[in-house]
Amino acid sequence: MERVVRKKVKELLDSGKVIAVIGLKEELGKTTPFLFTRGDDYSKLKLSPHYPLATVAMKLHKADPEYKFAMLCRGCDERALIEMAKRNQINLDNIKLIGIACDENTAKDCNCKKPYPSCEDTIGDKLVDFVPEDLYEDFKNMSTEEKLEFWKKQFLKCNKCYGCRDICPMCFCKECELENGLWLRKGRLPPDYPVYHLIRAFHLAGKCIGCGECEKACPAGIPLMTLNRLIRDDMKDLFDFVSGMDLEEVNPLYTKEEF
Amino acid sequence: MEENWEPKIVGFLCNWCCYAGADMAGTSRMQYPPNIRVIRVMCSSRINAEMIIKAFQSGADAVFIGGCHPGDCHYVDGNYRTKKRVDVLKRLIGYVGIDPKRLRLEWISAAEGEEFAETMRNFTEDVRKLGPSPLKALAEEMV
Amino acid sequence: MDYKTVLTTCPYCGCGCKYYIEVIDGVAKSVVPCKEDPISEGKLCIKGWNAIDFVYSEDRLTTPLIKEGGKFRKASWDEALDHVANKFKELRKKYGRNSFGLLSSAKTTNEENYLMQKFARSVIVTNNVDHCARLCHASTVAGLAAAFGSGAMTNSTPEVEDADCILITGSNTTEQHPLIGSRIFRAKEKGAKIILVDPRAIQLSRFADLHLRQRPGTDVAWINGMINVIINEGLADEKFISERTENFEELKEMVKDYTPERVEEISGIPKEDLIEAARIYASSGSASIIYSMGITQHTTGVDNVKSCANLAMVTGNIGKPSTGVNPLRGQNNVQGACDLGALPNVFSGYQKVVDPASREKFEKAWHMTEKIPDNIGLTVVEMMNEAAAGNLKCIYIMGENPMMSDPDITHVKQGLENLEFLVVQDIFLTETAKLADVVLPGASFLEKDGTFTATDRRVQRVRKAIEPIGYAKPDWQIICELAKRMGSKEFDYPSPKEIQDEIAKLTPLYGGINYDRLDELGYLQWPCLDFGHPGTVYLHKEKCSRGLGHFFAVEYKPPAELPDGEYPFTMTTGRILFHFHTGTMTRRSEKLHNEVPTGYVEINPEDAEELGIRDGEKVSVSTRRGTIEVPAYVTKKVPLKTVFIPFHFKECAANVLTNPALDPVAKIPEFKVCACKIDAIGE
Repeated sequence: MERVVRKKVKELLDSGKVIAVIGLKEELGKTTPFLFTRGDDYSKLKLSPHYPLATVAMKLHKADPEYKFAMLCRGCDERALIEMAKRNQINLDNIKLIGIACDENTAKDCNCKKPYPSCEDTIGDKLVDFVPEDLYEDFKNMSTEEKLEFWKKQFLKCNKCYGCRDICPMCFCKECELENGLWLRKGRLPPDYPVYHLIRAFHLAGKCIGCGECEKACPAGIPLMTLNRLIRDDMKDLFDFVSGMDLEEVNPLYTKEEF
Repeated sequence: MEENWEPKIVGFLCNWCCYAGADMAGTSRMQYPPNIRVIRVMCSSRINAEMIIKAFQSGADAVFIGGCHPGDCHYVDGNYRTKKRVDVLKRLIGYVGIDPKRLRLEWISAAEGEEFAETMRNFTEDVRKLGPSPLKALAEEMV
Repeated sequence: MDYKTVLTTCPYCGCGCKYYIEVIDGVAKSVVPCKEDPISEGKLCIKGWNAIDFVYSEDRLTTPLIKEGGKFRKASWDEALDHVANKFKELRKKYGRNSFGLLSSAKTTNEENYLMQKFARSVIVTNNVDHCARLCHASTVAGLAAAFGSGAMTNSTPEVEDADCILITGSNTTEQHPLIGSRIFRAKEKGAKIILVDPRAIQLSRFADLHLRQRPGTDVAWINGMINVIINEGLADEKFISERTENFEELKEMVKDYTPERVEEISGIPKEDLIEAARIYASSGSASIIYSMGITQHTTGVDNVKSCANLAMVTGNIGKPSTGVNPLRGQNNVQGACDLGALPNVFSGYQKVVDPASREKFEKAWHMTEKIPDNIGLTVVEMMNEAAAGNLKCIYIMGENPMMSDPDITHVKQGLENLEFLVVQDIFLTETAKLADVVLPGASFLEKDGTFTATDRRVQRVRKAIEPIGYAKPDWQIICELAKRMGSKEFDYPSPKEIQDEIAKLTPLYGGINYDRLDELGYLQWPCLDFGHPGTVYLHKEKCSRGLGHFFAVEYKPPAELPDGEYPFTMTTGRILFHFHTGTMTRRSEKLHNEVPTGYVEINPEDAEELGIRDGEKVSVSTRRGTIEVPAYVTKKVPLKTVFIPFHFKECAANVLTNPALDPVAKIPEFKVCACKIDAIGE
């Protein structure tokens, strides 16, 4: 599939249809986010490991909202872009999406419910019937006491790197409640229990797009997606809302409607 | 754990309905247990998730939020937001081992003094049955 | 729009995480973790995430400064460099070459450290070159070199997660080396037993299977005690001892006195816990010792390190994966600074200065007409003492801040002020730079190329991402310019790449390291002897670097200054996660400053109550060296009658109080133990 994508990127850039493509490039034996322009070595384009490219798009638009470019876009990238667009963080009109459908292994790795973007011309077969394993069955069946013990072991490892927040495509608030000394004392390790993680999980309700980058970025190995995924399911259960699907849908937690 | 543990309930009561209801219960000398620590707010939707979480972290055994009946909110739709928020938060605290029954949201109007007292009696008993919040001991340990 | 990512190495701790710097239109915007980096694996600590902040601080030095009439004025590079070169020449002629001291930097690159010691030895022609490793792992370099022949971390960071038992002592790993802390957590998930020996209840203590809280400074005793138990219970690795070590009998005889009962008396560790710890460590398949300042920063630092080596050898935990004696080096390049010879007793690659063959080799390579002195030069604290005594006339400091990091700061100030000429090269006007006669603005890690060596001997590239700020120059260029102006023709390098090539020719341990290989492989762990050598993951595989591992029978000696009637508390100092060393970089980072804006003294709740001190209240802490006022942090983390003060904060500098008593061999100060008293200020 990499070959097909490279061909597409080459066609877009060489023809002048787009001036730049956000993708991933192999450099120094590793994969890095890269802005391909005409004349670059497209054979170095790679598709994995996945980096949150939507964040790159957001940073480019922060520097210049009129900058037009294309980007490689997986299911999670598209969901992130939609949520960002809802909050005026990017100008979707200026971004051409090159849809990439995830293969089965990648979908299993991320335990993803929708491993493909909704764009028409997506490269790769959309796994519309893919059902991820329910990883949280055992957890859901634990008693309240067991759940507490489980999270005590996890949250008390936290060293407040803020990595989960800094890598999250949805976290871009200029003033972050996690840094507010009113809720949790600053400079304490582990952070006052369980404030940091509960605030984070709550703020992600209706926002989290399920990309899993937070868990991958945690040096303490805390299973953050357990909470985020469960809350994401709850948003569907309580309000029939799934983030990242539709530009017009607003997070019910922000609206005045009764439920 | 102290022998004579009494549930400590933090209560956020909205100024226009619930707080007035509590006031009525008080002036009418209706009896209810003294376990609730009342904090008056202008609207129940003023209470953000952080405050509830902080209440639990600081050692509250339970959190009570009292607002206006749907349709009666002084600010039109504040209470709808509160309900949605609390619904999500209940699930969330349940996942991390805080019994969701420790968080209660009730609609109580300014005229419902008796309902307020009754709710307080019931809630205090429910929390007594649940026992002290597991976070209290943890907060003390982590000094 | 110009967008690029540059893969570089973190400038903070010795873990050696690599990550991408995102540069948009020539400005470094953010840090993006590198998922394929072997150390960080796409995860970072809060300092790494915010590593760009200090680079763009308005406090950055952007031009050379010359002090006139007690105040600094801006100067051009030509004026400043000419002035320094002329002054150096003048003072050298007047007072001789040994009136000079040079401090290299554990933060600058390997190339820069190599050049600094080359400058010291071939231009000034003195061995008085040292750097802050003196203050942290000098004991390690001396102790492990004596025991094994090589003074470096024996195994590698990724291996830690596969150990069956990890014994951590004197290291607050999750705070100081977070990505090594990650490996400890993973090891625990995999079933490893964690033994923590530390007076404080640090974050890791909650996850330890056994937490032994010893009195500060009693490490030789409890380690000897463990060895006593191991021998008595038949858990020693006889095969390893007989085939791969020497001098065991002397150790065996001596530890007979270190019964668990006696050790409990000395250290306060309950004897049952000591016995269990010994049993667990000795019966684990692969057991790893991780240690840091709690072992090294003592007047018995070298003895402490040798004891760790003893413990590992007695149980055969050397020369295999996931075992070993693993000192965690603090700075991003303190390992490199040592490796490249910025030390008074060795050239690069630990080739000894007292060895005539080594001196000849370097004299020849550097085309010297003078002979390199054959005596070991002065160490950091000695330099300050000699400066105060008037014997040292001139010090050239690069990237170090002794006015915050040395013990007994008042004395350091006297020394530095007594000099005839002080040159400081740094990125900020530090407390030390303020005292200088000339200040030269250096470039940060984002503004130059080079290499850093992480704690597990891992040499990695630092890559230039942005142009130097203002008129700042990379340190290597400044040293070369100075050398040229002093008449040397040996400092002509087009780029750091060529400096590394010269290093490889003269340094067997780095013999196979060049930029092409580093680009291709990502890292190389020394010893890396030639350009086909893949590097060395763990040391002492079939034999130790010196051949047989040497057991040293070391007796317990108490710390230099213990609590007494007048100063009844034990004071220990150290670091915290959110700040780094003298705070010059982290305190200029918004997010880090937000977390911890100022210092504090950790005091036990019982002691606080007795003294009438409330949490957050300012108290006065005094030692025989001085007094500071600092807010109290009442916590159960510290044991009774012990306090802990982080040393990062100049307004309440812990080093005003610390004891400059030194280890006799390593000359490292006893930062970890001294006597103090606490008084409520009563406002």
